[in-house]
Amino acid sequence: MNPVSYVRAADAGAAVAMGAAAGTRYLGGGTNLVDLMRENVEAPSSLVDVCGLSAAIEDTPEGGLLIGGAARNSALAGHPAVRARFPLLSRAILAGASGQIRNMATVGGNILQRTRCTYFYDDAARCNKRAPGAGCDAIDGFNRIHAILGASSACVATHPSDMCVALAALDAEVMLSGPEGERRLPFEAVHRLPDGQPDRDTTLLPGELITAVRLPPLAAARRSAYRKVRDRASYAFALVSLAAAVELDAAGRLAEVRLALGGVAHKPWRARAAEAVLRGQVPDEIRLKEAAAAELAQASPLRDNGFKLVMVERLIVAVLSDLVAGNAGAAA
Amino acid sequence: MRLTVDGLPETLAPRPGQCLRTALRETGHHGVKKGCDAGDCGACTVLLDGVPVHSCLLPAFRAENRSVTTVRGLERDGTLHPVQQAFLDHNAFQCGFCTPGMLVTAASLDQEQRQELGRALKGNICRCTGYGPIADAVASLDLPDAASPRDERSLPPPAGPDVVRGRAGYTLDAAAPAGLLHMVLLRSPHPHARIRHIDAEAARAAPGVHLVLTHRDAPDLLYSSAQHERYVDSPDDTRLLDDVVRHVGQRVAAVVADSVAQAEEARALIRVEYELLPPVLSPEAALLPGAPAIHRKDAAASRIADPERNVVGTVRDEIGDVAAGFAEADIVHGAEYRTQRMSHAYLETLSAIAEVDGDGLLTVRSSTQVPFLTREALARVLELPRNKVRVLCGRVGGGFGGKQEMLCEDVAALAALRLRRPVQIEFTRTEQFEAAPCRHPMRIGIRLGARRDGILTAMELRVLSDTGAYGNHGPAVLYHATNESIGLYRCPNKKVDAQVVYTTTPPSGAFRGFGLGQVIFGLEQSVDAVARELGMDPVRFRELNVVKPGDPMTSTRFALHDVEYGSYGLDQCLEHVRTALDAAREEPLPPEIATDPDWRVGTGSATAMIDSAPPFGHKASVRLMLREDGRFELVVGTAEFGNGSTTTHLQIAARTLGTAPCRIAVRQSDTALLDHDTGAFGSTGTAIAGLATQDAARRLLALLREQAAAMHGGAPDTWRLDGDTLSDGVRHLPLSALAPLEADGHASGTPRTVCFNVHGFRLAVHPPTGTIRILRSVHAADAGHVLNPMQCRGQVEGGVAQGLGAALFERIRLDGNGGVENPAFRSYHVPRLADLPRTEVFFADTHDSTGPLGAKSMSESPFNPVPAALANALFDATGVRFTETPFTRDIVWRQLREACPTPASGARTLQTDGAPAGP
Repeated sequence: MNPVSYVRAADAGAAVAMGAAAGTRYLGGGTNLVDLMRENVEAPSSLVDVCGLSAAIEDTPEGGLLIGGAARNSALAGHPAVRARFPLLSRAILAGASGQIRNMATVGGNILQRTRCTYFYDDAARCNKRAPGAGCDAIDGFNRIHAILGASSACVATHPSDMCVALAALDAEVMLSGPEGERRLPFEAVHRLPDGQPDRDTTLLPGELITAVRLPPLAAARRSAYRKVRDRASYAFALVSLAAAVELDAAGRLAEVRLALGGVAHKPWRARAAEAVLRGQVPDEIRLKEAAAAELAQASPLRDNGFKLVMVERLIVAVLSDLVAGNAGAAA
Repeated sequence: MRLTVDGLPETLAPRPGQCLRTALRETGHHGVKKGCDAGDCGACTVLLDGVPVHSCLLPAFRAENRSVTTVRGLERDGTLHPVQQAFLDHNAFQCGFCTPGMLVTAASLDQEQRQELGRALKGNICRCTGYGPIADAVASLDLPDAASPRDERSLPPPAGPDVVRGRAGYTLDAAAPAGLLHMVLLRSPHPHARIRHIDAEAARAAPGVHLVLTHRDAPDLLYSSAQHERYVDSPDDTRLLDDVVRHVGQRVAAVVADSVAQAEEARALIRVEYELLPPVLSPEAALLPGAPAIHRKDAAASRIADPERNVVGTVRDEIGDVAAGFAEADIVHGAEYRTQRMSHAYLETLSAIAEVDGDGLLTVRSSTQVPFLTREALARVLELPRNKVRVLCGRVGGGFGGKQEMLCEDVAALAALRLRRPVQIEFTRTEQFEAAPCRHPMRIGIRLGARRDGILTAMELRVLSDTGAYGNHGPAVLYHATNESIGLYRCPNKKVDAQVVYTTTPPSGAFRGFGLGQVIFGLEQSVDAVARELGMDPVRFRELNVVKPGDPMTSTRFALHDVEYGSYGLDQCLEHVRTALDAAREEPLPPEIATDPDWRVGTGSATAMIDSAPPFGHKASVRLMLREDGRFELVVGTAEFGNGSTTTHLQIAARTLGTAPCRIAVRQSDTALLDHDTGAFGSTGTAIAGLATQDAARRLLALLREQAAAMHGGAPDTWRLDGDTLSDGVRHLPLSALAPLEADGHASGTPRTVCFNVHGFRLAVHPPTGTIRILRSVHAADAGHVLNPMQCRGQVEGGVAQGLGAALFERIRLDGNGGVENPAFRSYHVPRLADLPRTEVFFADTHDSTGPLGAKSMSESPFNPVPAALANALFDATGVRFTETPFTRDIVWRQLREACPTPASGARTLQTDGAPAGP
């Protein structure tokens, strides 16, 4: 690992003042960035430590939550308000990583973590995300973990986060501070599809820092679940995951439904097409399969990952059936 | 910067970019271990203000003014933390390298988290134990009244207290010698190339750099990194640094500098001009006419069977008349199987410190299973007199065959000789995957003929083994793979056509089971298939066909005839697994499986036989001394890498002498202490080194008696050792009065005996999702008289865990260039606690006539039947043969979808009301 200069930021203003310089990266928990530096995938010349910035988790006046960008993943997952009002967020975080990692990782860093595509990590492989224009070894390589939605001919990587899938379903908002001032972005607008520029994971501007995440109140979130399909029981990135929240009316119709998929695209994938099929409907098996089919209409599987289409359908059917039946404690 | 470490103030001066783990280790906090570098393995876990984190991912500056607790800080006033005590009580470690991180994590858990241990410990890898004793140890914290798991025969491992305190000294835990330098290796990016030119001037001029070695500095001499008692068992095809590279990751140059960081920076400055040569990425391609010869060497001098055709070695033979055997058969079954490339994944990576003293004595402290053979190899390669080389081990953090090689000692020693300064080398986890030998991938063809009455009439075995770029262990593994596998069956007609070939991929090497695991994966499935075709219970079919005492054990004429039935417990093992599976079939299914018609349930078993030691001799040396203080010292040549051989040596010595194990101190694995010892491989720790221990103890006891008789009269055999006195019933002599005395013990590794393992599974598989749930796992082992049941059970459970890793998760994938695609634990899936079932272990009641106190070996073999047993259970459940490991979830799903699109249970092809995910 190359030597870097290291500065601890006292507050967001100080961090942003330093963070805009070329070669500078914000350092959250470091669980991803330090690893990438060791692998020579990232080589910042200076690090601005933002772990000391706000880690508070507070109620907002309208009934949602404001989560500091430096809140640890484990603190967020264990927070009583999150467990009671946004259980899918708690379950999503617990489905990811190990306890040791969650104790270090911050909310801001989790959002900005980079793909676990093995070709991205392998500096002997071609990767447009790591070296724009180099080509992509994943497209014709071993691509069972790669994207089935929204990929481009330049990149088929997936976003690895579990937490972000829940945030996508919750219509979260990300609070940013940067050299040009402060702004808010809807969560769905934070991550981007690769198109011709896969080296850009997000729409953040140079030097922008995630200071907080705002969760709006959502009644449906009390009836919510996160379920993850992975290679083994213990510890692996999602092959496919689903965050879901529902609210039923007296007639058993879906008054509200939120669905987001992980492991399928370059960004956490809000399944709006499926939601549109389901909203106002009774979610029987036929309707749920229709919803999955609508979401997957544009899917284009690669050589090794066609199984993900089946998994998406099965997940949507299984998780929503459980939620409607009142088995909200769907396994992570 | 200031911080608190284990309750005491500490000052660290971390370099920019340095992680907390390295900063702590450089300051002597060696309880913190390095197993990976990526937050995957958990060996470096510390508490930061009471919260467990991976110290390898934490920039050291982060710890300023904070409180760090390592495993050494868990004790309070000299009293072990309850979780440390529980790990001791349950033997919840073997090599112990993961233990500090495991303990720190476990100590941080509250009662609720302990209930979900699979989730709580998913950040910690243990490669040795299979996690059963770890789960029991943690569970015991909430069961204070539970009975002790330890029976009176199960002496605890003598290193235990040091292991759980984080005080056991692994290879790089010794105090750094003055002037220590660090070496890193530049590795090849190409699978096959000739080095035209290396420009290392900029690197040599870089700050802190003392030396850059290239092929111009290397002795012009070929050797094998593989180590055996008989040096000629592997081909001489390796140069210390070569001007031809034959796999991505091969050493090209070595940089020595004041720090690892400086060496890495200088390494980036080396420019190498390569002439690319055509790669050969599969054994099939290697055998094609016109394929490039990877080692164009003299066949006789290098001991390569056919260098022009890339064939390293062959086993070709026929006994009886196989054609006649097949003609006589009522059914003939044929199938082909493949096994994958696999990593040993021991947690302590390859490492060594080499130094040269004023007398020119080269001393290498190394993580090796074979210190004496490494001394021989260093002397040969560096052209030194053997008395000018000393090799010793600290505690060795796992091996499983992967440290039966000289893989880093040679290059570190060359640098130390050149610089006359101590040089340390430590592989990264990535290097472990890219350059340390893996298990030989094999293609296995089986043909079996059998009569209606269930008797095998012919066996034909074809094997194509991929040794990768170098032939280390290739021929020996092939020989072993084709021997005890078919030797298990009493069939008069057998034919073997096997070859091991070079490819330009990372080299293969010795791996637990030494080739048997691969062939047994195929053979035991074919045996199962024949039994089913005959309408017979597969266990019954095996009972009809396996060898029994008196039967010749035959495979090929290459087999040595020094193997005898010192004991025979296979009948008991088969009977036990049959009974257990019969009972398991009657057990109610978990409700979520019972209520879902898509789940298929099945049972299966497989059998394995193994010789108790390698062929061609395995020499063990032991010295037992009575010291002036009346206590004993046992000096053992062989190494221990967690398998518990040291414990059994203590037991054997104590029982033979008639004293208590606590009166015996052990030293081991140091060429300065004894003349020669073959080392720790081939499951010889108890069976062979134990015999040498018994020999030494008998001789010392005889000396004691003679001495007592000479001093005080009476026949020598009237004197008995009783604790710390020698007594003839009337007189009592303190041992110190007879000291000093010493006796040497030896064992030659012949004759050998055979050991047996049978594994059974009951499982459920869910075709719509590819999910496998193991409902019952039973293992029966014939280890002779089991000296230490807890420890032996640990060997079995650990072997089964590795077998399940091979069957379900683990695969090193190569890219189109022959480089490793997944050189990290996050993409190479070693099982974690939540991934494994508990296995019920049964020991046959036998007493071996050749082994010490009736014991025989039980170290490699529990692995061998596991993947085949799982595949047989999968077949029983689904009617589909899984012929290639691993059976990952997507492969199970795909193969079942293709083979049985319409489940027998109903018309639905997609299950729609269950949980697709795991727990």
